[in-house]
Amino acid sequence: MNLSIPERSEYLKILSDSDQKIMGVLPALYPRELLWAFDLHAAEIWDPPGDILHANAHLQTTICPVVKKSLEFILKEPDVINTGYLFPHTCDSLQNLGTQVKDLIGVSLPVYTFYNPKGSFNNTTTKYYREILQNFQSMLEVSYGTLDSEKLQAACLLGHRIDSRLMDIQEARQTDRLLLGNQEYFQLMRAQEYLLPKDYMSLLEQVEILDQPSEGAKARILVSGILPPSPQILDFLDKLGVSIVADDLLAGSRRLPKFPMDPPDSPLDYLTDRFFILPPCSTRGGDLDERLHQLNKRSKSSKAQGVLFDLVKFCEPELFDHRLLVKTLREQKIPVLTLETELDSHLSGQDKTRIEAFIELLFEMVPR
Amino acid sequence: MHNLYFAGVDVGSLSTDVCIIDQSGKVFSEMVMPTGVNGSEAAERAFDASLKQADLTRTDISAITATGYGRASVAFATGKTTEISCHGVGAHQLFPKTGTVIDIGGQDSKVIQVDTHGRMLDFAMNDKCAAGTGRFLEVMANRLELDLDELSNPLNIKGESAPISSTCTVFAESEVISLLAKNTPREEIVHGLQRSIVNRIWGMVTSIGIQGEVTLTGGVAHNRGLVALLEAKLGLSLNIPDNPQTVGALGGAHIACRAYHSTLESSTT
Repeated sequence: MNLSIPERSEYLKILSDSDQKIMGVLPALYPRELLWAFDLHAAEIWDPPGDILHANAHLQTTICPVVKKSLEFILKEPDVINTGYLFPHTCDSLQNLGTQVKDLIGVSLPVYTFYNPKGSFNNTTTKYYREILQNFQSMLEVSYGTLDSEKLQAACLLGHRIDSRLMDIQEARQTDRLLLGNQEYFQLMRAQEYLLPKDYMSLLEQVEILDQPSEGAKARILVSGILPPSPQILDFLDKLGVSIVADDLLAGSRRLPKFPMDPPDSPLDYLTDRFFILPPCSTRGGDLDERLHQLNKRSKSSKAQGVLFDLVKFCEPELFDHRLLVKTLREQKIPVLTLETELDSHLSGQDKTRIEAFIELLFEMVPR
Repeated sequence: MHNLYFAGVDVGSLSTDVCIIDQSGKVFSEMVMPTGVNGSEAAERAFDASLKQADLTRTDISAITATGYGRASVAFATGKTTEISCHGVGAHQLFPKTGTVIDIGGQDSKVIQVDTHGRMLDFAMNDKCAAGTGRFLEVMANRLELDLDELSNPLNIKGESAPISSTCTVFAESEVISLLAKNTPREEIVHGLQRSIVNRIWGMVTSIGIQGEVTLTGGVAHNRGLVALLEAKLGLSLNIPDNPQTVGALGGAHIACRAYHSTLESSTT
């Protein structure tokens, strides 16, 4: 199946040239519908291309490449970002980067912060989340005028449609009813980081979901971590006949509610409820037992035979969870492979060996 | 019935190793040659030399498994398997009670758990730095102006040992230079280097655990001082093959033999 997915930088350039207001958004969780309601397009910055040169002057060597590459991108003051930057409190490094960019480095565009609550759903956290939503709305109103409540309602409805379609696609992926290789599937998932929501919804509608399962892949794995594996790894897995049938990625299923929601009635209630039914996540101080439970559940429903952890180097929140997740999965006799990657890095011979050995292990490819 | 022969060709970063066996598992040739800059040519060269040693020709070989980091470059192989699986099978052939294999290779080191057929159950692999590998010892031998044999002298494991980093070869080399400048005795430095590799291996061992007998493979198994330290750290005796460098190739040859018979069986049923 060939999906026509526009290339990120070209697409954003066309939008910017047509006077679309574009805000650069750092990973990972933010009230996208609120931005849409102000006609602001959220273009996410995860791993902008290019070498890290100037950012190193501002950051420690042990900071993750997502933060470094984002800062490198911001320091260039790219034309396509024309309204400001939003820094959600995903981890301490990103939070500190927001402060640094705003107060120390200084950029010509406004810098916004959004401090997501850590911890689980309770009266205090929901009340806090409602407050920061309203504060964020007030901040945007200073620059973009009073919020049109009908626009917010429409944005929430569109967000709800995108979530529902993504859930269907994810379910189809787990049950072999999607004719997409690893490379194409994750291109589709990541297109939400930069396409206008209406364009993304049109793209999702083009995806063909089969009524019956197709011939399943030779090997089925679940991938966990922050970002999907690099294109080189995805291509290598495609060549080996290995399908990533499910994920536990921050840039993947951890941004999608655990179960379908009713269509929005009251927008702010909807956004609050949605935030608290997202799957457990290391970046929100989520319950590790629940994350393990979700991982097992997803692994069983997708019939994954092993778990591949693809970790971004120096990603502290994820590294804290990883050790215990691996230990528990091993105790459950679930095969596990961990790769540690830097963004843009090539696939080394050693990593190829690790992946191939993992596949040999999963499928008992060595005869008795 | 005439004899059937099988080969394993292990193209590693430092050496290319070939092993030829017959269907009973009897070894007819073991060859170790430097890989140099061209893995493909090294494989051809080592395979031809191995055939000559066994008094065989290419047409006598029924199946060949290529392994090692250069396995993709072995055009004449009939199958490819990672060195992790090959070391597991090879070690199991030599020591059937092997449950864990520690392979210290030229550019990486691995701890591999295997089942009763020598098939891999789990593994840990260190490749972020040459620390804890054969290359690390080569660099240090050069710096200390010792040959690898001199670097492998068994030492009193309770003797003095210079503190040396186990995380980075470049840092460790700087530390060695500083120690030499302070006139630290070379045997203390050697002891420190061996301890540094053992600490690196220990990290991997603790991540996946030890089961059954432990077999040490790879050229570093020739280093008697390091073996003594590793045995003390693990609290057990290690199985040391006579030719630790060719264990991967031996495993490859056995995998070629198993695959050949498995294909034969499935085509006749």
